[in-house]
Amino acid sequence: MPLFGYAGNYDGMNTPSDAELLAKWREEPAPLLPLLHEFHERDGHLSENALRAISDDLRIPIADLFGTVTFYHHFSRDPGGYAHARVCTGPICALQGADELLAAMPNAHAMPCPGRCDEPIPVLDRDRVLCGTTVAELAARPSPLPPAPHPDIEECVFAHIRTPGRATLAGYRATGGYSGLEDALCGRPGALLDAIDASGLAGRGGAGFPTGRKWRAVAEAAGEPRTIVCNADEGEPGCFKDRALMDYDPHAVIEGMIAAGFATGATRGFIYLRYEYPDTMRILETALEEARGDGLLGADALGPGRPFDLWVRRGAGAYICGEETSLLNSLEGQHPFPRNRPPFPVTHGYEDLPTVVNNVETLASVPHILVHGAEWYRGLGIGDHAGTKVISLSGDVARPGNYEVPMGFPLMTLIDDWAGGVPRGRKIQAVTMAGLSGGFLAGEALDVTLDEPDIRSKGSFLGAGGIMVFDDSRDMIEVAHSAMEFFAEESCGKCFPCRIGTQRLTERLHGDGPPDIGAWIDEVHDLGDTMMQTSACGLGQAAPLITESLIRYFPDRVSRHVAESA
Amino acid sequence: MSDNSGNGTGFDFEITLDGEKVGVRRGESLYEVSERHRKEIPTLCYDPRLEAFGGCRLCIVELDGARNPVASCTTRAESGMRITTRSARLDMHRRVLMEMVASENRDTDVDPLSGYASQEMAVLLDRYEARTGRFAGARSGRSRPDDDNPFILRDYENCISCYRCVRVCAEQEGDYAISVMNRGFETQITTEFEGLLGDSACTFCGQCIQTCPTGALADIKALANADVPGETEKTRTVCPYCGVGCAVDLMSRGDKLIGVQPAMDGPANEGALCVKGQFAFDFVQHPDRLAYPMVRGEDGELHETDWDTALDRAAAGFTAAVEDHGRHSVYGVASGRAPHEAAYMMQRFIRGAFGTNQIDNCSRA
Repeated sequence: MPLFGYAGNYDGMNTPSDAELLAKWREEPAPLLPLLHEFHERDGHLSENALRAISDDLRIPIADLFGTVTFYHHFSRDPGGYAHARVCTGPICALQGADELLAAMPNAHAMPCPGRCDEPIPVLDRDRVLCGTTVAELAARPSPLPPAPHPDIEECVFAHIRTPGRATLAGYRATGGYSGLEDALCGRPGALLDAIDASGLAGRGGAGFPTGRKWRAVAEAAGEPRTIVCNADEGEPGCFKDRALMDYDPHAVIEGMIAAGFATGATRGFIYLRYEYPDTMRILETALEEARGDGLLGADALGPGRPFDLWVRRGAGAYICGEETSLLNSLEGQHPFPRNRPPFPVTHGYEDLPTVVNNVETLASVPHILVHGAEWYRGLGIGDHAGTKVISLSGDVARPGNYEVPMGFPLMTLIDDWAGGVPRGRKIQAVTMAGLSGGFLAGEALDVTLDEPDIRSKGSFLGAGGIMVFDDSRDMIEVAHSAMEFFAEESCGKCFPCRIGTQRLTERLHGDGPPDIGAWIDEVHDLGDTMMQTSACGLGQAAPLITESLIRYFPDRVSRHVAESA
Repeated sequence: MSDNSGNGTGFDFEITLDGEKVGVRRGESLYEVSERHRKEIPTLCYDPRLEAFGGCRLCIVELDGARNPVASCTTRAESGMRITTRSARLDMHRRVLMEMVASENRDTDVDPLSGYASQEMAVLLDRYEARTGRFAGARSGRSRPDDDNPFILRDYENCISCYRCVRVCAEQEGDYAISVMNRGFETQITTEFEGLLGDSACTFCGQCIQTCPTGALADIKALANADVPGETEKTRTVCPYCGVGCAVDLMSRGDKLIGVQPAMDGPANEGALCVKGQFAFDFVQHPDRLAYPMVRGEDGELHETDWDTALDRAAAGFTAAVEDHGRHSVYGVASGRAPHEAAYMMQRFIRGAFGTNQIDNCSRA
């Protein structure tokens, strides 16, 4: 397994020149990221010469390009850096011995959670992901399929995902794929908007904004061309649902995007995929080729003379790029700071034009709504809650994986009955919500249903649906410290409360704060309060939920931590 | 002034500002409206010449109906908004933010000669009584003592990552010489490939120095005069180097010129200068400067003399030239380093005394 000593992606004769690479991408939409990847893979790093060539060709000031390249985790500026393996040291992999694996791999370095919490420790080796808990075990393996559903529950996005061949166009069509879209294309965009509105579908990436309202706002906004962006930058630790959907049901995402294009009058779209999913990149590219070959994309995709086309753009490792305006800046080749809102992407999105940004799961729900109808989808939820939610469950549970549950489903039923509960005779100590962003729930707060109103009443939120389980043997200070360290490392640096606050909270969880418990708690509360209320985006607003919930549920452990650090 | 309301006030709509109804022109930010009404809203990343950035979050105000305070610099006023610019909650957040800022810097006080805006942080630290030592921890920013350029001090250990320097370089000067590298607490102001300013696209206009609110970027030439005794006096004048007419404040102590700052309200430059206007003032008090008249003697060397002798010699030369070759044989070039009054006298002299329009300036622009 050639993990080390890699110099470049080509051997001798076939190496493309700078001019060839630049000519290949210059006229393509959103060319910067793919160009950087091409040079990175060709040379094994991003050299000064490469950056100067790109800067000249795309007319990006060289200082800006240099600064932007350093923003991303995975662009290496050191010769050979591209080939250095990256080992996940995220919260779940830390429980599996990630530090030992990292230590056993010379030249390898740590990376934040790459979305494989339902598998052994993932290692990113150039354009493939290997999994294992020891170096000897490391092997490439396909994404795990979601565990079999509970017989009493009807699924939406996972309904056909376990059908072999569903990822191919033929397989997708054989299970009813694209039939809903083809019917919709015979009608009016307004009818499609009405159906999405009526379904109650809301954003599944975490914000929960009603999808129909978003699409309608774009349809009514001034400015063309309009754009559909699929946010596949699944960077939240503990979230890996979008990978499963894209790996096994890529055409559902594509169909959802075409439907969004028809509903809004958009002519183009991008799937912004996180860097850490190289296999998914190939699966999506193949699916797009098939769709293009079948006329589903291209000059007449939405009807005669009505074009719609899609491209995949691969990120380069930056959690903040999952924030939609940061994503748009990244796609445009700008420094990926979040933008100030308003204006929102629905009016000022990609290239400052009306843009839909939807999560993978949201878009993958659309074909099912088109086939079965709005009422069916709305009825999948429990009580007033519409639809379903995929939960990525990981950590100390017998059967980690992606579970599609009705909105409003009880958390402990999912953990105990569906996922087999906490193993090794241990008891549950805490879970995280929204990956890490929702902080911890513990004790009586675990008696919660999986829907925003109930979870918010406990001071947390459901978000993208990542839930990590920690049994009573785990040190919650350590878990909280590694979580805050993640936020500090991923803070973009634009706004003061987040840039400084995540650093200060990390230091206090590390044991560097005031030695007196009263002063320690005062500082942590004040930092958290100001971060939550004044940060410019969700990262800084959510990060203090870690410390706030830690103090709420584990006051004794916090006191001990401060006393031990003194 | 736009007035689409037809009510003759010049305003398009009203908002409620601290309980009082005030007029707003379409497109104004909440900060701009508040500032017009002399509300003391603190800022660190704000420079009225630049696009609002929303980084420091100090300019938060309470907006009725919004869960969290909003940044007034990036929020556009909309008809009917009700905002509050002072409250216990806002004061608390502003104090905590200033305590955070203090905690990441090596120095919280810098010499005012550092630059025009260099006292902004220190003033706010005092206003919010934020020198408490709370939130102590790692400091951010790596200074660049290796950058030996003679003009711009790059002391990033005092940098608070407001990016005013990066933005003024791009938005005002158009140089794009500096940018932001890394993320979060590791953020660092850099040139291309972390090089020296002299090797970058920097033109040493000095605007980054003058907008820096902490003195992390500072005027090396002015700071070299920090030990000159006396109070700093500022004298408003217009830079003589070219025809743009940039307003500058000459800083002096006693009879010594110690530095130059651009006038932010200069109508032609709005705080901008070029490297000459900003830094090229050494000649004024340079020991090599000619301080008395000299004439060339029979030996071909220059000798000190009195003014009458010198002027007589010059007049004789000019008169001979005009008599021999006509009035258009004279061509006057005024120096960009001479005062405006001298430049004016020069053109009057060439036009009036010789009757020719052949008068120019060495740095015509």
